[in-house]
Amino acid sequence: MTILPQYDGAGLRTAVRRELQRGRDFVDETEPDALVTVAVASVSLLAAFVGFLAVSSLTAIPFAVFLVATGYGWIRHQELTARVLTLTTTISTILILGLILVFIFAEAWPTVEYATMTVFGIPIPGLRLFVETRWSPVTPPIRYSLVPMIHGTVLVTIIATAVAAPLGVAAALFLSEIAPRTVRELVKPGVEILAGIPSIVYGFIGFTILSPWASDQFDIVGQGTYLFVGVVVGLMALPTVVSVAEDALNSVPESMKSGSLALGTTDWQTMTSITLPAAFSGVSAAVLLGVGRAIGETMAATVMLRGSPGLTKPLYNVFYGNDTLTSLIAANYGDADGLQLSALFVAGVILFITVLFLSIGSQYIEARMRQKLGGTD
Amino acid sequence: MTETTQSTDAEQAAESTQTTGIDIEGGTGQPLEVTSGETREQTRDEWVEYEFDGAAKLAVEDLDVYYGDDHALKSVSMEIPENSVTALIGPSGCGKSTFLRCLNRMNDRIKAARIDGSVALEGEEIYQDGVNLVELRKRVGMVFQSPNPFPKSIRDNISYGPRKHGDLETGFLAGLLGRSDDDAVDDLVERSLRQAALWDEVQDRLDDNALGLSGGQQQRLCIARALATDPEVLLMDEPASALDPIATSKIEDLVHELAEDYTVVIVTHNMQQAARISDQTAVFLTGGELVEYGETEQVFEDPESQRVEDYISGKFG
Amino acid sequence: MAGAVESSLVNEDTSGTETIAASAVGLAAVLFALSLAALFEFVAITDPIAGVSMVVLLGALLVVLGAAVVAFGVGSRLGYVATQPRPSAGLVASVAFAGLWFVVGGLVASQTLGLGTVGWGATALVTGGVAFAATALPREDIGSTLPAGSLAILTGVIFLAGIIGPSWVWDLGWEQQASFNAEFAIPVVTAFCSLLAGWASAKAYGGFGARGRHVGAYVLVYLNALSIIAVLFLLVAFTVLKGLPGLFNGLAFGPGAGPETTLFGVTFTLPVSWPFVMNGVALLNDINGVLPAIVGTIWLVIGAVVFAVPLGVGAAVFITEYAERGRFTQVVEVATNGLWSTPSIVFGLFGLAFLVPRLGNGKSLLAGMLTLGFMLLPLVVITSREAMLAVPDEYRDASAALGVSKWQTVRSIVLPAALPGIVTGIILGVGRIAGETAPILLTMSGSVAPPGSQTVDVIGGFEFTTAPPFVDNPELLQATSALPYQLYSLITAGVGQSSNIANIDEFRWATALILLVVVLSFYAVGIATRYYFRRKLQHE
Repeated sequence: MTILPQYDGAGLRTAVRRELQRGRDFVDETEPDALVTVAVASVSLLAAFVGFLAVSSLTAIPFAVFLVATGYGWIRHQELTARVLTLTTTISTILILGLILVFIFAEAWPTVEYATMTVFGIPIPGLRLFVETRWSPVTPPIRYSLVPMIHGTVLVTIIATAVAAPLGVAAALFLSEIAPRTVRELVKPGVEILAGIPSIVYGFIGFTILSPWASDQFDIVGQGTYLFVGVVVGLMALPTVVSVAEDALNSVPESMKSGSLALGTTDWQTMTSITLPAAFSGVSAAVLLGVGRAIGETMAATVMLRGSPGLTKPLYNVFYGNDTLTSLIAANYGDADGLQLSALFVAGVILFITVLFLSIGSQYIEARMRQKLGGTD
Repeated sequence: MTETTQSTDAEQAAESTQTTGIDIEGGTGQPLEVTSGETREQTRDEWVEYEFDGAAKLAVEDLDVYYGDDHALKSVSMEIPENSVTALIGPSGCGKSTFLRCLNRMNDRIKAARIDGSVALEGEEIYQDGVNLVELRKRVGMVFQSPNPFPKSIRDNISYGPRKHGDLETGFLAGLLGRSDDDAVDDLVERSLRQAALWDEVQDRLDDNALGLSGGQQQRLCIARALATDPEVLLMDEPASALDPIATSKIEDLVHELAEDYTVVIVTHNMQQAARISDQTAVFLTGGELVEYGETEQVFEDPESQRVEDYISGKFG
Repeated sequence: MAGAVESSLVNEDTSGTETIAASAVGLAAVLFALSLAALFEFVAITDPIAGVSMVVLLGALLVVLGAAVVAFGVGSRLGYVATQPRPSAGLVASVAFAGLWFVVGGLVASQTLGLGTVGWGATALVTGGVAFAATALPREDIGSTLPAGSLAILTGVIFLAGIIGPSWVWDLGWEQQASFNAEFAIPVVTAFCSLLAGWASAKAYGGFGARGRHVGAYVLVYLNALSIIAVLFLLVAFTVLKGLPGLFNGLAFGPGAGPETTLFGVTFTLPVSWPFVMNGVALLNDINGVLPAIVGTIWLVIGAVVFAVPLGVGAAVFITEYAERGRFTQVVEVATNGLWSTPSIVFGLFGLAFLVPRLGNGKSLLAGMLTLGFMLLPLVVITSREAMLAVPDEYRDASAALGVSKWQTVRSIVLPAALPGIVTGIILGVGRIAGETAPILLTMSGSVAPPGSQTVDVIGGFEFTTAPPFVDNPELLQATSALPYQLYSLITAGVGQSSNIANIDEFRWATALILLVVVLSFYAVGIATRYYFRRKLQHE
């Protein structure tokens, strides 16, 4: 199984021809009545969607037609209607991803255009967002540099990964290989509950307990440090790492583990030499997903950070915490409009693209692992 | 009917003995002593007495195994002579694989299993406190039902055991300190692969991934891997059940040769195979009972138990 | 073969040496606990314990522990203690100790001796190199004990000699000021050293070699699992303790105690008065509460479920039952997984750009519902699909063989069999979205401390109009509050803006607690359902 389809012209053409043929057969075989119903439903839904996009108050009319048509179809031609409805839901799932992309890109564009910079006579849109470090939406010159926030996100993510990855993988090893059954049945729901604690609660505890404590301990001026935001976010990413890594470790065939033990190795040797290497890609996918969680974590960062965009001095000073991409959005959306709001969307685009790539990357790695353990490699 | 009760998956083994336990437990939950076509008879102690010269390599006494409420092995006693092939035969779910896994304590992996009784390796009890499982399994090697090579190169598969035992040192640090045993590894790999009759087929691709080998080759690799740790006893759990006839006959020849230097205990579902390769045969029948144990020829040609005769002649099982 | 290890089947009686190693492990555990106590300020580092101050005690214990570890290693090397060490401690340990001693050497040279960059660099390199050689070259029993033990001894001596005393401060000298003080550094360094020495003594307990490494690693892995559980427990327990007073403030039972309620046209008085969950915030209230936020959260969850569950289950049915496995299903899989990992704030932005202008051009409950629905959707698709894939194909084949049509099979065979999995997935997903703040922050947030009159009444809000879209519900198109948002706004609002609330701190913690209770009960129900069905399946 490959995630990324390989396109080749001839294969695609045959596929298209086959689909067309299938479509023709479908039209020939289906009752005209059912066909009309389905067609009416599809067209009206499409119209409703277009109406919604166009902010029309008439949207309700095609939507009502759609409801009536599907209702009629459900009673008279349930088989076909069910099929078409489920197809519609599938398409809308993909559509939502597409809409997110389109809308946040469209909203982000004005600022990207504003931040055009000319290099060797070629204007590059958005470059100034990344080469300057000044974020100043009010006092001129008005600049929307995202560098300080990217710096903050990177620092927080590194610290969070340093917390979540080793502890998470060790906990996954414990759960899948070491823990006696009764302990596992207690610890596993515990880890899941850890995932369930809302991020704002973590943020609240961080804000009221951890931040004042840190200011006191490290003689920091004011409150808010990347270090402790990173630790809290790492704790929040931990359950993701644990559960995905545990799945990967469990998917290593028991026969391989027994084979190693039967040669007279210790459990620990079996884990480090057989189980972990065999599950390596799954475990790294788990870490990637954890990194994605850490990058996208918003509320803890928003309430624990200072909310004043700027680089820390020196750059590796993790005892000060200004803003991350996520906290920038959450803290500024309220009084932002125009270009500043658009700049927040740029931050959103960066987050979305980064995490999407991490997600696709981890899926690809996992698919590779399944293939490898399947023995076809 | 194929033997499915003891898969290589240890956890599954426990479960499947419970769930596929039609042979053991009827739908009513009452113990069902016989499969269809099997007659009832009382097992007699003298049927399992087998005299041989020399000391016993493995001596089993009153071994009982329970999986939860399931009594999988009932008071089994037998002595296994050195440098010979002992075949364990019997219908599905009769406990022969369970018995085999008791000999190197692989049943410890199954959390639900409870084991009573005594197994002694050269007179030393292996079910007592302070037994070094690592040492035990070094001396009692095992080959599983379906081939389970590690997803590593052929060379690394063979040298895995000795490296983990600290008998061979390879790797960056050893190389740095001039202690690397690369030559010894090469010797070991060649010797083990030759013993397992695989050398000629793979000598040019020792660094290829072992998962790329055919099923029969993988199983011989697993045998070579077990031999590389220099065990005294080799346990084989239906090593040929997943293989084609040609690969099977290669494994059979191999087992025969191995008996010169090793004590081989082999579980098989195939009675012809047992008759061909073994010196003595133990017959387990339904309910986890050892019914008859003796010289292979005697067991197959003139069994003392009526049930064993019925089983061997194919009336049930 | 180099270093062939002789070992017997049954371990000889080594209880004497094992006891020594085990007590070293115990001492390390005590030290670790003491340093945690000092770190969390249960004990100040200047407090006298057993007649000496905490620092001196920690230092002395470190020296004892380090000496025990080194002594065990040397004893093993000289043959007084029976062990099975390898010829070398291994690359991982060597690199780790080299890195550690590099840092120690550098710090001592630059901070204590005051050498310049070249000086401390050279010193660090030398100590690191020596540590590498000391770990890699000798036999494992020396290699894994000497560097660890001597580090503990060195640290202990530094504490005892007062080089790092209670008044010690290390100003990092950065432009933005930050410094390490003794109250932080001493416990953390002690904890680290005790971990290291504990690991070394655990290895010694296992007699080094394969078994020793096994024991050493297991100690660390168990400690890790234990700390995760401890952190979880502390978090929950702390929130509960802080939140309880505010939550049950003014709770009263008895007939007529509660407010008047109208339900299905019948007006009656509740027998219980629980102000925190029955009131809003108002100047005249004796005790303020979060009723609007609770009701808002309930409606949010209902809206999101109504939107996402049919869509998600439908999509899962299509890709599992109708679509052929191929590019299309792969695209759907990648898309749902991508949606699943999309940060919640991005969903918020999307709601802000897509929904808010189209739904009454303002933040509204409906926009919040749909945004959370978008978030819930991928989880519903993924879990429903997993549940349906787990339904054995034989069921489908058996049904198809009876001439039942595809949809009938799905409806009467596949969906009922997959229902437990789907329901569990939905419950867990609801738990997740019920606690989400970021998306509703951008799409539906209302006032900081909403009065009781702002409690949404969705059912009563429906009205029909003559102009399109014919149905109107101002309640749905109004900004409102929800628990996570309420907590967020309480944190950021500061005291001034919510001066109506008398004890703001108590109020916040109570809000946090009630949010935690709501979300965790979803999780508890979800996990319990899963266990219930799993157990049921196993017993069938």
